[in-house]
This record gives sequence, C-alpha cells and structure tokens, in this order.
Amino acid sequence: MKAPLSWIREFVDVKASAEEIGALMGLRGLPLESLETHGDDVVMDFEVTANRPDCMSVIGIAREIATAYKLPLAAGGTKVPPLQPNGNVPITIEEPELCCRYVGAVADVTIGPSPKWMQDRLAMCGVRPISNIVDITNYVMLELGQPMHAFDLAKMRQGKIVVRRAKAGESMTTLDGKKRTLSGDMLVIADAECAEDIGGVMGGASSEISSATKRVAFEAAYFAPSQIRSTSKKLGLKTEASSRFERGADRTAPPRAMARALQLLEQIGAGSFTGDATDNYPTPYQPRTTHLDRARIRGLLGMDVPDESVTRILSSLDFDPEMTSTGWIVTAPPWRVDMHRQVDLIEEVGRHHGFEHLPATFPGVEQAPPPSDPRIARDRRARTALLGIGFSEAISFAFIASKAAEPFLDGQGPVAIANPLSELFTTMRPSLLSGVIDAVSHNRRHGRPDVRLFEIGTRFSPDGETRGAGFAWTGLATPDHWSGARRAVDFYDVKGVVDQLAAEYQVTPSFSETKKSYLVEGRTAAIVVNGKTIGVFGQLAPAIAAARDLPATDEIYAGEIDLDALSAAAPAETLRAAALPKYPSVVRDVSILVADTLSAETVRGTIRSAAPETLIQIREFDRYQGKGIPDGKVSVSFRLTFQSPDRTLTDDEVQAAMQRIMDALTDNLQAVQR
Amino acid sequence: MSDSDHISRIESARNKFREALSEVRTSSEFQELRNSWLGRKNGRIAEYTALLKTAAPEIKKELGRSINELKRIVEDALAEREAEFAKSARPANAIDITLPGRVPQLGYRHPLSLIRDEVIEIFTRLGYQVLEGPEIEDDYHNFEALNMPADHPARDMHDTLYLEKPIKSAGRPLTLLRTHTSAMQIRHMENNPPPVRLVAIGPVYRRDNLDLTHTPMFHQVEGLVVGKGITLADLKGTVSAMARELFGSAEVRFRPSFFPYTEPSAEVDIRCFKCAGAGCALCKKSGWIEILGSGMVHPAVFEAVGYNPDEVTGFAFGMGVERVAQLKWGVGDIRLFYENDLRFLEQFGI
Repeated sequence: MKAPLSWIREFVDVKASAEEIGALMGLRGLPLESLETHGDDVVMDFEVTANRPDCMSVIGIAREIATAYKLPLAAGGTKVPPLQPNGNVPITIEEPELCCRYVGAVADVTIGPSPKWMQDRLAMCGVRPISNIVDITNYVMLELGQPMHAFDLAKMRQGKIVVRRAKAGESMTTLDGKKRTLSGDMLVIADAECAEDIGGVMGGASSEISSATKRVAFEAAYFAPSQIRSTSKKLGLKTEASSRFERGADRTAPPRAMARALQLLEQIGAGSFTGDATDNYPTPYQPRTTHLDRARIRGLLGMDVPDESVTRILSSLDFDPEMTSTGWIVTAPPWRVDMHRQVDLIEEVGRHHGFEHLPATFPGVEQAPPPSDPRIARDRRARTALLGIGFSEAISFAFIASKAAEPFLDGQGPVAIANPLSELFTTMRPSLLSGVIDAVSHNRRHGRPDVRLFEIGTRFSPDGETRGAGFAWTGLATPDHWSGARRAVDFYDVKGVVDQLAAEYQVTPSFSETKKSYLVEGRTAAIVVNGKTIGVFGQLAPAIAAARDLPATDEIYAGEIDLDALSAAAPAETLRAAALPKYPSVVRDVSILVADTLSAETVRGTIRSAAPETLIQIREFDRYQGKGIPDGKVSVSFRLTFQSPDRTLTDDEVQAAMQRIMDALTDNLQAVQR
Repeated sequence: MSDSDHISRIESARNKFREALSEVRTSSEFQELRNSWLGRKNGRIAEYTALLKTAAPEIKKELGRSINELKRIVEDALAEREAEFAKSARPANAIDITLPGRVPQLGYRHPLSLIRDEVIEIFTRLGYQVLEGPEIEDDYHNFEALNMPADHPARDMHDTLYLEKPIKSAGRPLTLLRTHTSAMQIRHMENNPPPVRLVAIGPVYRRDNLDLTHTPMFHQVEGLVVGKGITLADLKGTVSAMARELFGSAEVRFRPSFFPYTEPSAEVDIRCFKCAGAGCALCKKSGWIEILGSGMVHPAVFEAVGYNPDEVTGFAFGMGVERVAQLKWGVGDIRLFYENDLRFLEQFGI
C-alpha cells in the first residue's frame, strides 16, 4: 500500500522522517517495502499482510504509526457531517448474504478533471487520475479503505439499482473494455434489466462516467470476501476494490465513505448532492467482544506487559478495553476483521509493546525425546557407504519431463502434475536415475571425463512414495597415475558397489539376469533379496544416454536400489559378535576348464553342493580365455578355504573333500582339471 | 734433494691434503683422493715411506715420525669424511618420494545435505526428535488443518502444484505436493499427545519460477514445540541457539508478521554475521538477515488435531535449507544446488 507521508501526517502528527518511520514500523508488523521521493513529498510503500485489509488505507496506516509513536490519531479531512439517508434511491438487495450493505447517493455533477492536489495524491498511490467523479471514489478508497463506484444514472434503466446474481450466460463489458460472460454464482449490480457492474470487482462500460454525464449514483457497499475471491479468481480479474473486499471490508464504513465523497464533491466543485440517499443494511454489524486474560499475555509471550501499556495499545488501535479483575473485556473496531480470539489481542499487545523486549528463554525438556524417523539414520548409512566408494552426492528436482520418466515407469502410470511450471517438470520421478543421468551428462559436457554420482531420494508411483538410492559411474575406475594402473569402469565395478551397499545392512543379495529398456540387454542384473527384486543395475542403454546429450562413446554404468526394501531385509536381531576361529584354515586352489557358457554361479553351486560344511569360502581368482585354451572353453581358478570351528582339519580330509568337488565338477559340468 | 727438504715437503703435503679434501664433493672424487694418498703402490704416503730407505740415518727417525703423523692425519680425516658420506648416501632401493601418490577417491557431500545434517545434529542435541514425512499430501494436512480453509487469501502465498490424479491412501486422497513441512506437524500431533518437540525436514514444492533465489522444489526445516507454558520467549531462545550454531551469530530480532497457522507470528532476523551489523552487501545494508518465519501455534491448529489450546501452547518455525546454505557459503545462485556440477560440489569438503 503506497501512502504519501503528507497524507499520513493529516492523521498523525509524526515528526520522524520517512526512513525512521519505516524502520520502526518494520518492528511493529507493518514493514516498509520502499521509499520514493515525489517533489517535497515521500511515498511510503508498506507491505500489508493478508490479514490486515484495514491497513490498505491511509488512515489504517496512520493508526498503526500513531500507536507506535504513542501519538493521537486525528480525523483529518474525514471529519464530515454524517450521511442522512432519506431512502429515495431505489436499491434492492436480492442476495443479503453476499452483499449485506449497500449505500447509494445521487448527485448532480459537472464532469471535468479533478484538482491537481487530488490527481497528485492518486498518482503517488499508483492510481491513474480519470475524472473528478471517478477520482473522488478512488480518493475515498485510498483514504478510508472503502472501495466506491459511480454509475451514470441516466444509463441505469428506470434509475434502479438491483444487487442480484448474474443470470446464466449473461454478459457485460467491463471498464477495461473486455466483454465478459458471467456465471450464475457471480454477483452483479444491475439496473432494471442488465448487469452494470460486477459487484466489488469492476464496473461496467455502459454505465461508465463520461464527459456527458450529468447525474451519478455513488455506491459504497459491503461484499462477502469469499464471493469476491471466487469471482475474481474465475474472471482472472484482480482490482484495487476486489483485493480489499476479498480480505474483508468494514461493514460500518459505507455511510462514512459516502459522506466523505459527497463532501469532496462539493469541496472540489464537481457537483452537489441531491439529498437522495439510501442505506440498505439488512443485517447490522454486531460488535465482537473478547476476554483478554492478563495472565495469558505473559503465558503466551513469556514477557510482562504493564496494564497501562495493554490499555494504551488497544485504545490507540481503536479497541475498547474494559478492565476486569482478571484482565479486560475488549471490543474490537469493526474494521479489524482479523480479530477472532484472545491470541489475536495478545498479538496486538505484543507487537506494539515490542518483540524487542522478549527475553530469550529456553523451553525445559519434559521427557526423553521419542526416536527420530529411522530413515534418517538408515539413509545416512547408504550415503556414507557410497561416499566412501567415491560417489559424490547429487540432489535433483523430483519432477521431470514426461519423456524422461517414460523408460522408468515399469508398466505403471505416471504421477503427473496438473499445473506444471513447464514441460520439463510435468511428472513426479518414478526413478532416481533420470536425475542422476542428467547430472552425469552435465558434468561430462563440462569437461569431466570421470564421474561418479548418486542420489538418495523419493520415487513416486500411483501406489505412493518409496525411498531409493540411484547411482551412475562413467570414465575410469582406477584413475590415471604415473605408475600406469588406469582402468575404465565396467559392470563388475558397479556390482561391487551394490554388494558393498547391501553389506552395509548385513544383506547378501543374489543377482539374476533381467531386461530393462534403459539398460543394455545382457548387461543388466536384478538385485534379489529373499526372492524379491529390490533393484537393478547395468550398462546404460545408448539411446537413453544419447537422449541426455551424453557422448556416444561413453560407457555409463548405473543402478538403483530400493532403500525401504533393502533395510527391511536387514536382519532384525541385534548384531552379536562371533568368537574368532580357534583352529587354522586350509587353503586349496583348483583350476579347471569348462564351457564358457556356464555361469560362475553354476560352477560355484556345484562346488558348494559337493563340499563338506567345512568349506567356508569360494573365490574365483583367475579366469582366462585365449592362447592354449580350446575354443568355447574357459580356464577358471578357484581358491577354496576350509575351516572347522571345533578341530584342526587333517590333510586327508581336505584332500578327500577336494576329490569329491573335482568329481562333481567333472561329472556334472564336464570340467577338466588343469 | 737434501734430507731437510724431505721433512719440509711432508709438512707442506699436510696442507695440500687438507686443501684437496675440502674440494671433494662426490664419493668418486673421495675414492680418487683416498687412492692418491693411501694407495699401496702409488699413494703419496707410500712414496714418502720409500724415502726412508735412502734418507740419512740421523734424520730417519724424525722423517719416519713425520710420515707416520701425516698418515694418521690423512686416515682420520678420510674416515671422518667417509662417515659423513655414509650418512647422506641413499640406499640402492631408494625411491623418489616426490612423485604423486595414489589418492583413494572419496565422494563429496552435497551442500544441502551438509546443512541438513548440521541442523539435525543441533536439534538432536537440544532433545528434539527428527521426522520426515510424505511429499505428496492431502489438502487437509497441508492447508485446512493449518487454519487455511479453501478460499483463504493466505493460500495465495503458497502457489501449489496439484496432481492430475489423486493418489489413493488409507486416509484422504493425496492431491498435491506439500508446500511446506508444516503438514508434518499435523500428522504428528494427530497421532501423538503433547508434549511435542520435533523438527521435520525435507523437500517442499511451490509453483515458483526458477531464478537466483527461487526453485520450484526446495528444502525446509520445521520446528515444533508444544507443551504447558511454552512461550514466544522460548522460541527466541531456541532460534538464538540455532543461529549461533549455524552462523556464529546469536543476536536475533523478531518482526511481527502473519501466518495463518501461528498467532502471534514473527519473522526472525539474525545480526549479519559478515559485517556484524555495520551494513554490507549480504544484509543489504540493514545489518540484519532474515532467516525464518515463526510464531506461536494458532489455537485453531490445536483444535484440528484434538489438543486443548487452553492447556497447551507451542511454537513453530520454518526455515529454508537452501537459504541457509546460500547465506553461509555465499552461494549467489540457488540453481547451483540442483545442477550437481562436481566443480561446485567439490568445494564443500567430504
């Protein structure tokens, strides 16, 4: 709300500079947004919160300043004789729920420009001067906060004013020159036949004041906030009037505003009041009283406010506090539509006494805090593990383009946003990979050949939300070094990442071949725990990489794991320490030739099923194809570790076990020992 | 050559040796010097010793003594020098320790994640429980129960993103992306009696266009304390403690404001930690930096969750994680947090 300092000073004799006033009002709940010098005057632009429509007026702002500076509020130019309605203006209110007061007054006018001082003030407040009559209505609105309108009475059929709902399909052209089709839930001010004004929002062009206008009907009314809000929203039309009405206007203001308008009319020589005025007021305003408990002020604020200050602050804000033994019975002024409860009064007292007087105390702890969301500690473990493997942490937007989401939908519908900001943000991500791949692409295009990134976050599906960890790795697995150990990342690097991540939760997953449209076929593994797939990883499909502007030569390995499922699979029992083995272990190596189509898992399984319980570890330590190995065969070397918890194994029994294993490999897999 | 010449020659040889020794730099020069003096056949000492055979008997004794003395001096000096060489010599298997090492690669934390954990740590220490909540919410928990019924003008402050199709849930259909973590307050209080002492943390969504200070998704920390006799002064003490930990600035200022779910409401500024209040670019010359919105929980909120507002009071505050990170590390453009550029991430330590 813009208000010239000179206008404010008509109501409060404040000596402080605009800057000083702004600084203090910031601490009293009416912060200054900007200051602008206009000749000798300064325009103060205050930021008015949504609960204070009364401060969308010069007098409202002056009242706050007067209270802050402990000064009296003067009536200024608004001190005019009250309106004496004779009831001669024919006003019908068909919807008293939506319009509970309508004051109309008729005046004979001579249209022309308004005086310079009035034009200047309007301009400083950001309102364009139009003509003396229109300017009067705007001036009163800015001064008192009561929006007004003026109709060319000659254009109002039968001189009637009817407040009614719009008829379905009814249309009218508003003052901004736009033809608008109305719906039955909107309120209009009509003459005997047609809608002439969208009540409380904008007037109509056909009854607009023109240079030929001789007689006008001024309007000062009260419209229900929710009605104005829905109409304004539906029409996409926000005006000075609608923004005041939708927050709640003062029901007692219309006659005061009308009297002021008629006084200004005579003062600037724009015309004269005919004496015909009607105040149609079906449900008079009932003042609201609230009990303010003295102890409650301290109880809520944690600071003492002396009784005199409470009384002074409330009185200065035009409340009527009546002291009782425990506090006050307080009547709120009718423009304080934000006053509903005791706490609202306490806020008034608190903010004008000054929050700067608040002590800094510390609330006592009444009980041990209940446990935090287990996901916090759980996600931290995954994060720490991935950071330790060299992945940096990414955070990306949870909404992505619908095209980017498509490959990850997995047969389910997308979670689409009805009103997205742009086509880049239309769909809630079904997978974290989309964001991680974008991040890899960003880094690749900015000169980083080697990128390891992960993100822990929420995935969305029509079934709800799950938490996952997505990761991608491209470039070198072992960095460039003068010793020449450089090696590019491959499938088995990311498989190791998955193993490590699962080990963090004491889970040993198994892996099975699977297909995903976004991963290369034959280089894709499902992560399986307790028979349930909880994730997938593999080489990123070139089509996906290309769609994200990744260089075609890049090999990117990526994967995603469901952290909810992974942590659910973690053993429930408390970890118990195992005693260290008392007896030595025995290690044996075996090298065999087998068909290269056999999976490592099959060979391992054969060994395990033939071995006694004392076989505690199987490790593939070499794998070779090429010179000296027949086509279609592969040489595989295993290191087997045997150990018993209760005795030292003899050479003979290990030898016997090795023989059984070799026999099984030979019989079942046609393996040949090398 | 006379016998006395022999003696003076040996005496001058002592000086010659000292001079030669002082010029020795490398171990091969040292070996050369040793051979030229102590060599059995051609060494100078051997040469002088040979003179004894032909020397006059009367000086034989003196000459012999001079040669022996010279020999001792040469041997001692060479031994001493050799010890010095041994001390500075590198063994055969020595390596160049100035070559670069193999650095195990560790990942870098995202700055928002660092702030998040810092906040969690502060409040855990202050006896709070830390909660996360659903990011897709229903209208009731995000707005209505927070004293923002449909058509409330304050809803304008939350430009909301809605789902095309609501997600079915055990409760009300989930229709929107939460615009603040305050929705978690309601969910917690609905299911737990007072007292409450919690922080809720996580992403929230608003229909804001991307610019230097706005992103349509950002992260919020929400604090809520409810109990008997909780006051606005307690809120001041609590945010002061937090500000001291996060920014090293404990001086806070409350400015009255408006939020539908708190009454009274206040915006909280901290004394600018960069200029200590003198006025600088960071605080826009005001000496103060706004860090959060807060207030005393509105009685209507307590009523919505079944708490009795006559029995308990409470405070709540909400703070943007991005804003804290921007202020703390001088990040001018909020969008950097979502680009995941390693050159940016690697500035924040592991």
